[in-house]
Amino acid sequence: MIGAVPARDATLAERLRAGRSPRRRAVDRAGRGLALAATLACVVPLAAVLFFVVAKGAGALNLDLLTKPAKALGTGGGALQSWLGTVQMVGLATLIAVPVGIAAGIYVSEFAGHRAARAIRFASDVMVGVPSILVGIFVYVLLVLPFRQFNAFAGSVALAVIIVPVIQRTTEEVLGLVPRELREGSLALGVPSWRTTLSVVLPTARAGVLTGVMLGVARAAGETAPLLFTALGSRLVNIGGFGEPMDSLTLFIYNGARSPIAALNDQAWGAALLLLLLVLGINVSVRLRSMGGVRA
Amino acid sequence: MTITSPRRLGALALVAAVAVGACGGGATAAPSASSEPGASPAQTGAAGPAVPSGTVSLTGAGATFPAPLYQVWFEQFGTIHPNIKIDYQAIGSGGGIKNITSQTVDFGASDAPMKDDEIAALPAGTKILHVPTALGAVVVIFNVPGLTDLKLDGPTTAGIFLGTITKWNDPAIAALNPGVTLPASDVVVVHRSDGSGTTNAFTAYLAAVSDAWKGGPGVGKDVQWPTGIGAKGNDGVAAATKQTSGAIGYVELQYAAQAGLATAALKNADGAFVQGSVDGVTAAADAAAASFPADFRQDPIINGPGAATYPIASFTFLLLYVDQKDQAKGQALIALVYWALTDGQALEKGLGYAPLPAAVQAKAIAALHTITFGGAPIWPE
Repeated sequence: MIGAVPARDATLAERLRAGRSPRRRAVDRAGRGLALAATLACVVPLAAVLFFVVAKGAGALNLDLLTKPAKALGTGGGALQSWLGTVQMVGLATLIAVPVGIAAGIYVSEFAGHRAARAIRFASDVMVGVPSILVGIFVYVLLVLPFRQFNAFAGSVALAVIIVPVIQRTTEEVLGLVPRELREGSLALGVPSWRTTLSVVLPTARAGVLTGVMLGVARAAGETAPLLFTALGSRLVNIGGFGEPMDSLTLFIYNGARSPIAALNDQAWGAALLLLLLVLGINVSVRLRSMGGVRA
Repeated sequence: MTITSPRRLGALALVAAVAVGACGGGATAAPSASSEPGASPAQTGAAGPAVPSGTVSLTGAGATFPAPLYQVWFEQFGTIHPNIKIDYQAIGSGGGIKNITSQTVDFGASDAPMKDDEIAALPAGTKILHVPTALGAVVVIFNVPGLTDLKLDGPTTAGIFLGTITKWNDPAIAALNPGVTLPASDVVVVHRSDGSGTTNAFTAYLAAVSDAWKGGPGVGKDVQWPTGIGAKGNDGVAAATKQTSGAIGYVELQYAAQAGLATAALKNADGAFVQGSVDGVTAAADAAAASFPADFRQDPIINGPGAATYPIASFTFLLLYVDQKDQAKGQALIALVYWALTDGQALEKGLGYAPLPAAVQAKAIAALHTITFGGAPIWPE
């Protein structure tokens, strides 16, 4: 190394920089500047979206929006049918997807052979990337056309199809992080393999698995496309009627945002804020709950 | 904890399985709600059809053109008969016909009558009854700062939508609007992106007044637009026009009112410039009522005679299965449509729609007698 020898306690970056020419330093600074600009470009849209939704939605997110159903011509109505629909359909989708996703994750992580695991992992990755509108059309053909009825159950299944690969991949990754010694210890005590998985491995990875579930739920709550062909949307409050059409917050936003009626535009902003709070609430609760244990 | 975990997982799986089973059944069984057969026999004559006593859910989808009227109707009918729930989704006339063809709805709605090839595409044995419910005007809306009064004739309107007139101060527009200051800004055409009965009526008008349009884009629910931006539904076109300076579009009268947009006065067959209005549509309907076709498939009424007649008027139709698969649903549907054709007509004017001419109304009510369940009329004469 030529030039001044840096002090021993200097950081690695400082020591590297010390020997450089002014040109190199300039390039370094420009590179850092660009990286910072790119980072800002990432953060600004997010901040802008949050700002707009809060600014426009705060005034419309009131008791009427939460407690009143849609009304003709948009005056004096609310989004009761929509948030109830989102909660119900996402709830049922979660009930369907959690056992399937976790079981598949366990299988890939603990039991599948190398080739099978790779094939399933590949399939899951592809599934995560499939445009959700295709999932909607698939479920439409499967569960709407044969029954001759748009129904909320089909909507839930479409959402479940979207959640499953998210849970499967997360579960698999998290189980892989559980130390071998735990499994070996359990097996050495004579505990069967299946019991080891369910009673030792899975509980250890619980926080991480939960994160996967919540990520899936948050994603499903924000989906519109798969519901257009399945749950269709509704202007009526529907509690438990999974054989009939149901509304969701996303469909409410979609319909309200393109309305010429100003009151409905406002309600759509209110519903957007409500959805944001819902998804944000889920995310935050997950982060808080998964402080312990193995994380994704 | 180590012992309860697998149980918890098992319980979760069980819950999901039960939910799958229950709801899978629900998809088929739930809609066929009970109504005691024969308990409330259908009455004859002027008393109107019987309303089922059990809970019935009806799902409909289609035209956005009458959607504000239908929403008010179905809400009011639901208040009178709380056991009957009617859900209407405004997805466009094209969507309404698509759904009635795939039989995923209990009723459809369209302002363009089904074409012969669309009827041929229905599943074998399926017959559809067109029930006219109202008339509306297709009005030309515009959003030009400072401009509130605009007169247009057929060729000029066609020129705008063909893309040959591109500036608001075009000589053709200026000639029709003497004394009006027109800006030099670009004309932005807004049209429908979905299959639409409103488009069908509007393009029928353009084809009637312009050979270039007739030989070019032609008439239909969906045409190849030479220019402009697409928007979904009457609501979408109204919103896009409202948000775009220099925009011009076409919607049902009620949507212009909702959006608070100015409408152009169109030159009618008698050479008078008329604003879209309930009266202007009623005049058109009265002139056309005498020749109303037996199968109800009345095309839009373009350039009807009369000084007060508005040149683009269209019936809008409910599409009903002649053979109902579910008796309670069939009864509820007939009761609903009968109410709409009688009491419901009084609500039309206030919402910007024209009530049916008396002759058409009588024909429509009579047609409800032809709807059957298991081969027998649900509401016998």
